[in-house]
Amino acid sequence: MAIVLSITPTRFRASGSKLDSQRRYIRKVYNNTYDLRFVTGRNMDVAGGGLRYVNPSGNNVDDDTYDGSFSGTEGVRVRV
Amino acid sequence: MSGFTASNSRIKVVETVNNVDETVFDTDHDMPHIVGTTYLSNVAVDFDDLDETQNYVGQECSPTYTLETVLVWVPAVWDFTWVWNPGSWDWVYNWSYSTTDRVSTSGFYSQERVYTPGFYDWQSEWVYDPCGTYVPYYEYSVDAEEYSSTTNIATLPVDEDGGTVDVDFIIVQATGTRSRDGYDPRFNQALPTTIPSKTFSFQGSVLLESSGEADGDSWFRRIMSVYTSGSKLKLKVQESVKSISRGANNSPFPHLDDTRSTYSFNFKVFFGKFRQ
Repeated sequence: MAIVLSITPTRFRASGSKLDSQRRYIRKVYNNTYDLRFVTGRNMDVAGGGLRYVNPSGNNVDDDTYDGSFSGTEGVRVRV
Repeated sequence: MSGFTASNSRIKVVETVNNVDETVFDTDHDMPHIVGTTYLSNVAVDFDDLDETQNYVGQECSPTYTLETVLVWVPAVWDFTWVWNPGSWDWVYNWSYSTTDRVSTSGFYSQERVYTPGFYDWQSEWVYDPCGTYVPYYEYSVDAEEYSSTTNIATLPVDEDGGTVDVDFIIVQATGTRSRDGYDPRFNQALPTTIPSKTFSFQGSVLLESSGEADGDSWFRRIMSVYTSGSKLKLKVQESVKSISRGANNSPFPHLDDTRSTYSFNFKVFFGKFRQ
């Protein structure tokens, strides 16, 4: 039977272990303590035969040919 | 120290690892969670063939041979010709015998000189002209093109009141195949594609095809993007082509009509939020 709630000195589990203190749950943060970013929209564009890639930090990475003006957005910072 | 805290509207779980308290779960933070899932089968992506333009560069002369009627002077000539002088029979009176005898004289050939005056005559002959015609020569170039197409492929999840959930992010799990291999218009080879043979995930955009010039510069890109806008999940397909020249006269691109590519994707789309 699934564990509904279990609290011991070293471990917390709830909702059939969907929530388990031995796991890591990612969460949004607003400071620089993030571990990775979630891309939330388009992050590439093409123009003039070239490509712009907007990396998760929001910086444009263009090849030598791209001549468009697409602006992507920074990914949402998340921490594990 | 590892612990569990539940107070008012906050649940916090802390795990101590190597004497460092790591937050496992904290409802005071926005925590990503999936609020809906959509399965989309046989999503078609179709890039049409490229076009080319024939550019006039110039012309060069070319020799010709033509059969023409020309007036030719035929010069006068002296010729020798054999002429037959026929023999004859004559009656001759013979005084010795008081008779009349018949005497023959033999015919003979004689050579005579005959003059033919010069004259003009119309004659047909092949006439050579070293620059009798001009042949145009052309260079071919792939047409520059910017193409995009946006379609609604799904409706975003709705809440219990029927309102569209304000989705913060999506994660797309995909499988796909290129059902028609587009060719590089210059070569007898398919354009390289980035689509793996197995399941892959992405957020945002995916580069599908690309090609470069001899110096490495990009001239051709095909991408797709899956994103939310309003109450819809959208698929945007883009193609960008920079004009390139064939580099040889009177030589079209050999595989221009083979540049169409088609894809078929199956998407499993996870709609996520950071805060309910």
